[in-house]
Amino acid sequence: MKFIHSSDLHLGKPFGRFPEDVRVRLRQARADVLPRLASLARSHAASHVLLAGDTFDQMTPAPSVIRQALNMMRAADHVTWVLMPGNHDHANATELWRQVAQDAPANVALQLTPEPFALNAQATLLPAPPAERHPGRDLTDWYNSAATAETLRIGLAHGSVTDFDSSEEGASSVIAPDRARRAGLHYLGLGDWHGQLQIGPVTWYSGAPEADGFKHAQTPSALLVEIAGKTAPARVTSLPTGTINWQRVTLDLAGDDNRNTAHEAVLPPLPERALTLFDLIVTGRAGPLDRVALEQEIAKVTPDFLWHRADLGELGLVHDTADLDAIDQQGALRAAAEALAQEAADNSLSPVARATAQSALSHLFSFALEA
Amino acid sequence: MKLLALHLTNVRKFTGKRASITGIGSGITVVSEANEFGKSTFFDAIHALFFEKYSSSAKPVKSLQPYAGGAVEVAADVQTDQGAFRVEKRFLSRKSAKITRLSDGATVAQDDEAERWISALLGTANDGPAGLLWVRQGLVGLEPDSAKEKTQLKETRRDLLSSVAGEIDAMTGGRRMDRVMRRVADNLSEITTRTGRKAGAWKAASDEVVALETELASVTTQVQTLEKALNDRKQSEASLKRLDNADAKARRDEAFTAAKAAMEEARAHVGAVTGARQKRDLAELKATSAQSELDAILKAIDTLQAAEKQAKTSSAAADDAMLEAHSLKAALEAVQILHKRETEAVSETRKQLDVVRRQIVARKSQEEAAQLKRQITKAETVLGERDAARAITKASGATPDWLRRAEAAQGEVSKLNAVVEAQATTLSMTYDGAARVTRNGAIVPAGQPLALDGETFLDLPGIGRMTIHAQAAGEEGKTRLATGESALKDILSHAGAASLQEARRLATTRVEAETKADLAQAVLDTLAPNGIAALRTAKADADLAATGAHNEELPAIADLEAHLMQAEETEEGTQRRLNGTDAEYASSRETTVKLQAAADTAEHTLERANADAGPEDTRAHRRAERLRIQAQEQGALAKTEADLQAMIAAAPDPDTVAAELKRAEDTVTAARQERVQVGERLAALSSEIRTLAGNGIEEHRDELEGQLEAAGATEARFARQAAALTRLQAALDTERDAARDTYFGPVQEELKPLLSILHRDAVLSFDSESLLPTGLMRDQAEETLEDLSGGTKEQIAILTRLAFARLFARQGRHMPIILDDALVYSDDDRIIKMFTALTRVAQDQQILVFSCRQLAFQDLGGARPTVEIAEV
Repeated sequence: MKFIHSSDLHLGKPFGRFPEDVRVRLRQARADVLPRLASLARSHAASHVLLAGDTFDQMTPAPSVIRQALNMMRAADHVTWVLMPGNHDHANATELWRQVAQDAPANVALQLTPEPFALNAQATLLPAPPAERHPGRDLTDWYNSAATAETLRIGLAHGSVTDFDSSEEGASSVIAPDRARRAGLHYLGLGDWHGQLQIGPVTWYSGAPEADGFKHAQTPSALLVEIAGKTAPARVTSLPTGTINWQRVTLDLAGDDNRNTAHEAVLPPLPERALTLFDLIVTGRAGPLDRVALEQEIAKVTPDFLWHRADLGELGLVHDTADLDAIDQQGALRAAAEALAQEAADNSLSPVARATAQSALSHLFSFALEA
Repeated sequence: MKLLALHLTNVRKFTGKRASITGIGSGITVVSEANEFGKSTFFDAIHALFFEKYSSSAKPVKSLQPYAGGAVEVAADVQTDQGAFRVEKRFLSRKSAKITRLSDGATVAQDDEAERWISALLGTANDGPAGLLWVRQGLVGLEPDSAKEKTQLKETRRDLLSSVAGEIDAMTGGRRMDRVMRRVADNLSEITTRTGRKAGAWKAASDEVVALETELASVTTQVQTLEKALNDRKQSEASLKRLDNADAKARRDEAFTAAKAAMEEARAHVGAVTGARQKRDLAELKATSAQSELDAILKAIDTLQAAEKQAKTSSAAADDAMLEAHSLKAALEAVQILHKRETEAVSETRKQLDVVRRQIVARKSQEEAAQLKRQITKAETVLGERDAARAITKASGATPDWLRRAEAAQGEVSKLNAVVEAQATTLSMTYDGAARVTRNGAIVPAGQPLALDGETFLDLPGIGRMTIHAQAAGEEGKTRLATGESALKDILSHAGAASLQEARRLATTRVEAETKADLAQAVLDTLAPNGIAALRTAKADADLAATGAHNEELPAIADLEAHLMQAEETEEGTQRRLNGTDAEYASSRETTVKLQAAADTAEHTLERANADAGPEDTRAHRRAERLRIQAQEQGALAKTEADLQAMIAAAPDPDTVAAELKRAEDTVTAARQERVQVGERLAALSSEIRTLAGNGIEEHRDELEGQLEAAGATEARFARQAAALTRLQAALDTERDAARDTYFGPVQEELKPLLSILHRDAVLSFDSESLLPTGLMRDQAEETLEDLSGGTKEQIAILTRLAFARLFARQGRHMPIILDDALVYSDDDRIIKMFTALTRVAQDQQILVFSCRQLAFQDLGGARPTVEIAEV
């Protein structure tokens, strides 16, 4: 038995906080996942693609999202697509699943109820579809007593595992981590956690095939699962699937760092940048001149990226007499700079007031240097 | 430097003359002269002496030359640290400059060297101090008109302030600060308005947030609607499933059929109960009828017995009443006879009393008629007297008026007679001896004037006769006298009088007659106020009333009256007894009638009861038969009632049966209707869900949430940027202001005590560019210098110069302050305060004041040198 295990495609996710062009690119990347999975199935001779929930991002996605997804599955008719609801598109999303059931091609198998489903003569799937967003109970309990005759027992579930907070949305963890052992499963495919993760010998989170945030560092992948027989261990292989690179990098500057070198070191290679969402968080401390220079460098590389954001809010400002001299050696300008510097370092003030003073000082440095 | 004396030769109006001011003090010196005296000439000349080259032909120099032309010479004696010197210049012709030491007359410097000596005396910027310290006539501002002077003075002030406070650029940041502030303002203006409200990109971000929030709220509502619709549809589908359950439907139908059967059975039982109730009602009617017949015969027998008894009693009572009535009638007739007798006695007594009373009245009228007769007689006598007196009065013409006219005419005659006599010649005699003069034989008395009219003959005894021919009296007098006498005669003749005496007698007689008539009339009015005829009528009435009067003796009227009273009392007592008896008799008769009527009624009742009871021989049999029938019918009624109650007790409750049927029917109907409603609801929900889901509403909401997050972050970034720029702007403003305060500190320090003399707690603000005051802060409000009054402006201009002068002095550069009619706009109160300020500064500062306001400037004190003018 050979199949592809994936989950959390979140088709139709809008990515509203990004600019319009980036949004379009990200939505397209998610839609492209289905042919990519089909291609992997074909290339690895897998008969099924098991999607462990959250195929759709909402309970009522736009008809175009549903139709286009089903059309892609229909086109990949060499493989059987097994769709199980997740917490975003749970089984009680009746309109969605009614629409899918109505339009689904023959190679799509919906798993809306916890009943054994014969994948083929050798393997039986035990789905555990959530009927609501937060079921609050272990939906895989029934596996232990599920009758599957002499076929391979393959579990498919969506949610968080007890003792490991693997919920993307902080829901309570309810799936027993040793469910596969207790239920005599040959493989338990899980969804919900967007990073790829092995929980037990035959228990895996496949992770999302295309990243949708900066949370997980690994390359988005799907899992190729091969089970030679009832006694043979499942062989699991990670197959990269992601196309968009989401990077959140913290650049921590010490006062004496070489600012330029440090910044360059955290940047991805130039060819990758066009498909990279780069979220740079600068922390530590820097002198005013270094800060101005860093801001200029960031402004310079920003167009390289699909999307780039730099947060210098956590970057402390250090300055010495020479820095203040750059503004003025004496007089009102110097006095204003000293007043702001003193205010920025005054712990008796509120953090907001200190931050405002520091920002004002940064502006002063910038304007004074221009002058 | 201090000025000691000034000398002007051939300057303007001092043509060919030398004008000198000597004795200038080290403190305040006031040169107070009238207008056109030449005070401004001194000011301009001093200015030229110290600030114009001796070789200059510039306007300030040319303006000093008089119309007659010639060289202009100006000299000043000054005291410096090196001693006293005379500085003198000759302009326009044979130009020269010269410095002479006064102690020994030695020339210290000449021409260009003299100019350098003056420059060294004034300091590095020899244009400055004068403009800065000296005030021309009518100058209220601090800035001169010409750009050159402005620049010079500004440099002077900058040098002065820099020398005491440091470089202004170094303190305020100078142009670098300006550029930074401009950048801050530019950056801030891109995202805020002048009042700090959002603008530009910040406002756009803020607006976007608001728009997104609004749209998100709307979309969220739609999502909630969708979710609710999905839930509703889920519930509706469950309801439909329940309604379509076959077992439940069969149960509802079975219950409905059973309820209908129960209802039919209940209706049949109700019919049976109705039949039993009709039987019971019939038996009840029969029993009631039997009872009625029994009661009737029993009642008739009882009635008959009672009627017999009543008839007997009534008859006896009627007889008794008849007897009593007869007795009372006899008693009444006896009392009536007695009463008639007593009534007649009273009537007789009253007649006697009436006769006596009428006799008394007749006798009184008789007396009255006699009295009236006497009164009539007297009245008739008085009436005759009155009429006689009135006849005399009427016949006499000697009225009082006539008498007055006669007396007036007599007076006029007497007067005219006196006049005639006065006009005549008179003669009077005085005798010494016994001989007397006679006239016509009569002695002419001594001392009496004798009128002489015409020819008069006097006999003089022993002498002879004297004939006197006197001039006759005036004819006019005589004529008037004759007229008067004729008039008097006419008046007197009117009443038949010959003289005035007779006229008076006649008038008296007439008056007496009038008086007598009046008196008689008064008596007549008393005797017969209504006339004698009325008296006669009264007498006739009295005579008539006295008819029948006689002199026989009459019984005593009091006895008659007592007798009448007693008789009346007796009669009244009998009347009362008569009334009581009459009432008793009437009552008895009424009772008799009533009892008779009752007896008749009882007899009638008895007859009717006899008829009702029927024949007496069958009466017992009929009573027994009716008793039997009544018992029989009562038994039948009890049986039918028992049958009815048994059927009612066995009947089902019709309301319960009907409720059961209704409930079963409603259940079936409700299920059917609910099936239809749920179907319709499902169709509507499905349509709504398809519409909302087809719009990808959740996706749209998530997208909006993301956009809102991004827009919110952008707005927050702008807010932070605005806060930072605002804070930076405030810091720069604060530090620049502080720097300016520091820079202008020295001059402010000098100004403060002077300014407070005029305006308590007032502060001047300075412009760092012009280095001059630009505004006055007082009472927590700042006014620009341009907005101040002319008086305040000139006061501030002078005080500022005083402060600058003190700064010069602090540097060791003592320069005199010269004011040429500088306080022209200030009121008296402010001038006094300005004098105080000047006096305060003058303690270590020379001040020379030119003024035409001689009276006002008396209060300033100080030295008062005179201007000496001498021909050259």
